[in-house]
Amino acid sequence: MAVEQVPSTPVDAANDTLSKRPLYEGSTQYQHWRFSPEQLHKTREVLNTDAIAAIRSTFEADSPGSSSDIQFLTYEEEILLVKLYVTKITQLCGHFRFPEEVEATAISYLKRFYLKNTVMDWHPKNVMLTALFLATKTTNHPISLEAYTSNIPRTAPSDVLDLEFLVAQSLAFEFAVWHVHRALWGIWLDAQDLPIPVPPERLQQAYDSALQYVGTSRITDAEFLFTPSQIALACLSLADHDLALRWATAKGVEANMETIEKVAIMVTRDGVVPSVEVVREIDRRLRLCKNPEKVVGSKAYIAKLAKVEREAEVKRARKAEEIRKAMEDGDPFGSELNDGARVIADLDEDD
Amino acid sequence: MDVVEKANAARQKRWTKDRKVGEGTYAVVYQGREAATGRKVAIKKIKVGQFKDGLDMSAVREVKYLKELAHQNVIALLDVFSSKTNLNLVLEFLDTDLEMIIKDRSLVFLPADIKSWMAMTFRGLEFCHRNFVLHRDLKPNNLLIASDGQLKLADFGLARDFADPGYKMTCQVITRWYRPPELLFGARYYSTAVDIWSVGCIFAELMLRTPYLPGESDMDQLKTTFRALGTPTEEDWPGHTKLPDYVPVGQFPKTPLRELFTAATADTLNLLGKCLIYEPRKRISAKEALSHPYFFALPYPSHPSKLPKTASQLAASRMAEEAETNVDMNGPGPAVKAAPPNRLKRKMSGDDIGRSVARKLDFSQPAAA
Ligand SMILES: Nc1ncnc2c1ncn2[C@@H]1O[C@H](COP(=O)(O)OP(=O)(O)O)[C@@H](O)[C@H]1O
Repeated sequence: MAVEQVPSTPVDAANDTLSKRPLYEGSTQYQHWRFSPEQLHKTREVLNTDAIAAIRSTFEADSPGSSSDIQFLTYEEEILLVKLYVTKITQLCGHFRFPEEVEATAISYLKRFYLKNTVMDWHPKNVMLTALFLATKTTNHPISLEAYTSNIPRTAPSDVLDLEFLVAQSLAFEFAVWHVHRALWGIWLDAQDLPIPVPPERLQQAYDSALQYVGTSRITDAEFLFTPSQIALACLSLADHDLALRWATAKGVEANMETIEKVAIMVTRDGVVPSVEVVREIDRRLRLCKNPEKVVGSKAYIAKLAKVEREAEVKRARKAEEIRKAMEDGDPFGSELNDGARVIADLDEDD
Repeated sequence: MDVVEKANAARQKRWTKDRKVGEGTYAVVYQGREAATGRKVAIKKIKVGQFKDGLDMSAVREVKYLKELAHQNVIALLDVFSSKTNLNLVLEFLDTDLEMIIKDRSLVFLPADIKSWMAMTFRGLEFCHRNFVLHRDLKPNNLLIASDGQLKLADFGLARDFADPGYKMTCQVITRWYRPPELLFGARYYSTAVDIWSVGCIFAELMLRTPYLPGESDMDQLKTTFRALGTPTEEDWPGHTKLPDYVPVGQFPKTPLRELFTAATADTLNLLGKCLIYEPRKRISAKEALSHPYFFALPYPSHPSKLPKTASQLAASRMAEEAETNVDMNGPGPAVKAAPPNRLKRKMSGDDIGRSVARKLDFSQPAAA
């Protein structure tokens, strides 16, 4: 899956795009990770507002009045920070020589994560490391945690593992990603059989250049708004507009070129890496406004741990009481007692 | 609590665990229910804490593929949640598997029954392959059977996608008896044909009621395979002697399938033979198999609900029926009631009687084909 319209051999390329489309429409990506621009905007805005409210009240609980002069991050600033860490994934993948699929998957994971979480709770540095490690596994290119962390400065195995569940949950365990570079490859195979043949050098040049744009598209929101094949075609059109148009005409999808233009504009406009100064300033402010409950050792962190422990204690006591009752109730009938005890033994303490 | 933690807690509350039903290689399986509806489910609990590399690959693969694959003949993953250091997969509850059915000596299979299981297997597999997923571990005990008789492909812990052509894959997959010769010879570039070979072995096993190619070691597996199907020649399978782990294992003559499968029809043997072609590229695909004359010839495949059931399946469906009866009679007073005495009798009439007669007739034939 993780693939769109990719034929297993070039021979199948002919019956590509449309016949395979229903598969994509059945995917978790199509169903859960596509938005209208308004939805996307709203999702982030609400996430940001709620996070600020929660963190503010934590500060206030700790020492009243302490949140009044804190400058929380806006959601636009959050995006800039995440963008920077998207580019770090690319760097790390180069360092480890991971295949493109790992890189593309990790980037999607990182971006999806921040549709469910805020950087004020979870700093993208660690989330990025975890997203990448998880992506090596979900794309079937696993590497040992030891080998992974020992190659990244100042990183311990626990920095990666502690967040793995949180990242997986944030992704709703939907690990399969349909990639733009795969779609581009499908288009490229197709383009070799256009009615009026295109010289191979031109095809190769267009493909190489389009692949660069695919990389650029990954730092934008394109994947949340458009399908992988739309983005792929837009990247091809940025590389060689005429070729993209000829492919679309041959496929009978030239009516889509209007959408494709929109994608192309978005890729060029938003595919810009934020400057180091801007991000440094955001990161400086983040240190002051991040959720103290997530800072190990802080007063709020300890308070939260204590609360969780108290709740667990109540739960344990309730369970013990249930077991005691079950035993008592079963008392007159020896066999039921055993049964009851067995059932309880089968369900272990952490359920 | 974070949004994500809250969502997880809400998911967890949707399901209850009742009792342990099995233990797999990396998980404990419980029978449970959906709290709101009482629907029976299986909850597969994977302990993650024990793995030093975090979430393990089998769990990752299983979740990745099952999240995407929704088909009547593929086990449904209903939910995923975590509890402390455990990952919990909520799966549809399936009463038994094809291995238990094959081993249950009290059951007799009609040719129509085998055809029905094969059709469901190919349908599930065709869907996986259409989605670029290789199962890589097909065997009777990974083909689970639902209470309505539907067969479901399960255990995607070894699955992977194959869209990346020319990407090397491990040959250490598929349980030995169902492993095709190209993997035994160490091929690192392979395709959907590996699953088809496994299905061929299962097909044969359904007819024989015993594993078709039970090799005792990887080397013996090749020998067992060639003894049954003849040693491949360069013409049968061009290039196989160049595979990484190729070793000559002796010359065995080709014996027609007919000699072992005496009662099978020509269509049956034709399809079986096409699943067991040595040259992977010539092996039939799941899609082609589904339009093979075997599936259109008489007898037509048995309706899933009419397929042979093991004693435990019958007990389960009786319990479900009784539970239903109890609900019907559930007044404000004491609730537990025995099923009305004529209920079982009524069940035995009609289809079941016809069935047992048909089974007897079939029994007199030379082999269970
Ligand atoms: N969906 C299910 N419904 C009912 N029982 C199941 C289900 N899945 C697994 N089981 C039971 O749990 C046992 C272990 O399952 P699993 O972990 O998948 O086994 P393995 O690791 O041997 O493949 C099975 O043998 C079976 O008895």
